Amino acid sequence: MNSTSAQPGRLLHLDNVTIRFGGLTAVSSVSASLGENELTGLIGPNGAGKTTVFNMITGVYAPTEGAIHFENRPVTGLKPFAITERGIARTFQNIRLFPSLSVFDNVRVAFHLHVTQSTAHSLTRGRKFRAEERDIIDQTRALLDIFQLARVQDEPAKSLPYGDQRRLEIVRALATRPKLLLLDEPAAGMNPAEKVELMKLIRFIREKFRLSILLVEHDMKVVMGICERIHVLEYGRKIAEGTPAEIRQHPAVVAAYLGKEVNH
Amino acid sequence: MLPRSQIVLLISLATAGIISAFSSRIDDYILDVVLGIGINIILAVSLNLINGFTGQFSLGHAGFMAVGAYAAGTLTTGPGKAWIAAAGVSPAVLFPFVLFAGGLAAAFVGLAVGAPSLRLKGDYLAIVTLGFGEIIKVILQNIESLGGSRGMVGIPSYTTFFWSFGAAAITIYAAWALVNSTLGRGFLAVADDEIAAEAMGLNTTRYKIIAFVTGAFFAGIAGGLYAHLKGYISPAGFDFNKSIEIVVMVILGGMGRHVGVVIAAVLLTVLSEKLRDFGDKRMIVYSALLILLMLTRPQGLFTWKSARKASPG
Repeated sequence: MNSTSAQPGRLLHLDNVTIRFGGLTAVSSVSASLGENELTGLIGPNGAGKTTVFNMITGVYAPTEGAIHFENRPVTGLKPFAITERGIARTFQNIRLFPSLSVFDNVRVAFHLHVTQSTAHSLTRGRKFRAEERDIIDQTRALLDIFQLARVQDEPAKSLPYGDQRRLEIVRALATRPKLLLLDEPAAGMNPAEKVELMKLIRFIREKFRLSILLVEHDMKVVMGICERIHVLEYGRKIAEGTPAEIRQHPAVVAAYLGKEVNH
Repeated sequence: MLPRSQIVLLISLATAGIISAFSSRIDDYILDVVLGIGINIILAVSLNLINGFTGQFSLGHAGFMAVGAYAAGTLTTGPGKAWIAAAGVSPAVLFPFVLFAGGLAAAFVGLAVGAPSLRLKGDYLAIVTLGFGEIIKVILQNIESLGGSRGMVGIPSYTTFFWSFGAAAITIYAAWALVNSTLGRGFLAVADDEIAAEAMGLNTTRYKIIAFVTGAFFAGIAGGLYAHLKGYISPAGFDFNKSIEIVVMVILGGMGRHVGVVIAAVLLTVLSEKLRDFGDKRMIVYSALLILLMLTRPQGLFTWKSARKASPG
């Protein structure tokens, strides 16, 4: 067997990552690994540090201690745009589209990482430039088609209904061609029917685009329903890791969510 | 086959050339106002790249104009006159290069001002550029070889209809072309949501600097044209009021709109010409106009629903 591709933990590795804000230790020596094409969940009660971990992976915060490796290269402390260049794309808990840009342009702009022509070429507009632009326009259209957003492609993104905005944000992230997609509470504000749709969508994306997904989620049903591995945080520490079945039985997790009986 | 946008540009340049050939038939006063319109179009369109498309707030456009005006003036009138004479070429032939040099000088200063301040988010740029405009003015007032506060006089009038509107056409083309590409949509993305833009892999600082430096470059060109239109420049002519005038054009036209901003530049140039009798009270009218506009049409006068269609040409 090929040991490099099958070994889990190859894609993203957090090594004893700690972050302090002043005297507060928000995340304390968390280690975790993500494999290729794996669907992983990160859960925990409110204030456990899930979003902080997420923000460290995406470069919003630099960890105080510890290291983050992506494809065996250090990405610790890189700027968010540099992290996206490496192949980690994200969505936001409170949707952040480009509201005044059309649906089409929201996705098109995310293709910029794969543009070979420079900004100066926009001025000269040579044959190569136009060929590449046409190519990107086609790819954008194809991507919008897959996610049934083509019919609203000329609308400004802010005019879309909530569910479509969520979907558009995921499509936009996919246009950067990530190897790892981070979804920050994608089920927030969704009704049960929409949540079922979302789960289908996430599974579909993983199969279709052959990427890994890390899901930060509050909704247990969604996480337990689709994730293969789950990491549990509480008070900034990792208290458990395992399959959904294992996590459901895990005493520390049960205690974290439901409270512990006091022994005398 | 050239893309359509470049054909339009060439036709515009040719038209400007033809009108220029007959410009001697136009009344001197009217021609002066019309050439001023061309210059203001350059200023408004270039500022629109910074304040409109990229969503930054620069209040120092007159400062960059001053840098371009003085750099170009230095070459044709100041110390540079001797160098050009030594080269043995007619200075009128060298005029485009003089303008270009003025633009480069402004772009260089733009880089020096923009690179440190554009790293910050928020209103810092407005404050820095506000200060920059004042500093440029004071510096120019204190350089005796450039005329100090009396200004530079006797600048030859090289600015013709062709140069004014040719440069305006090139500026409009450049602003349009820069924004109309996959990379160019990044400017709009930065304006819309910087954090999301960063998360999409856009180096937002780089985008802001490109917009700022390009805007400064064209402001410098406008400055060179202005100097060789009026024949006289003084530091006081490039004060805060001038910057505000350009900002109003951009806001009136609708930030991030090409056509609207051009229309606004034309209208406001004519309006300020008509208001000349009121002297300083002109600024009151300007301010009142701005307040009224923000209350009634914050999106600009000349914005209509426009789906920005993707076109490779």
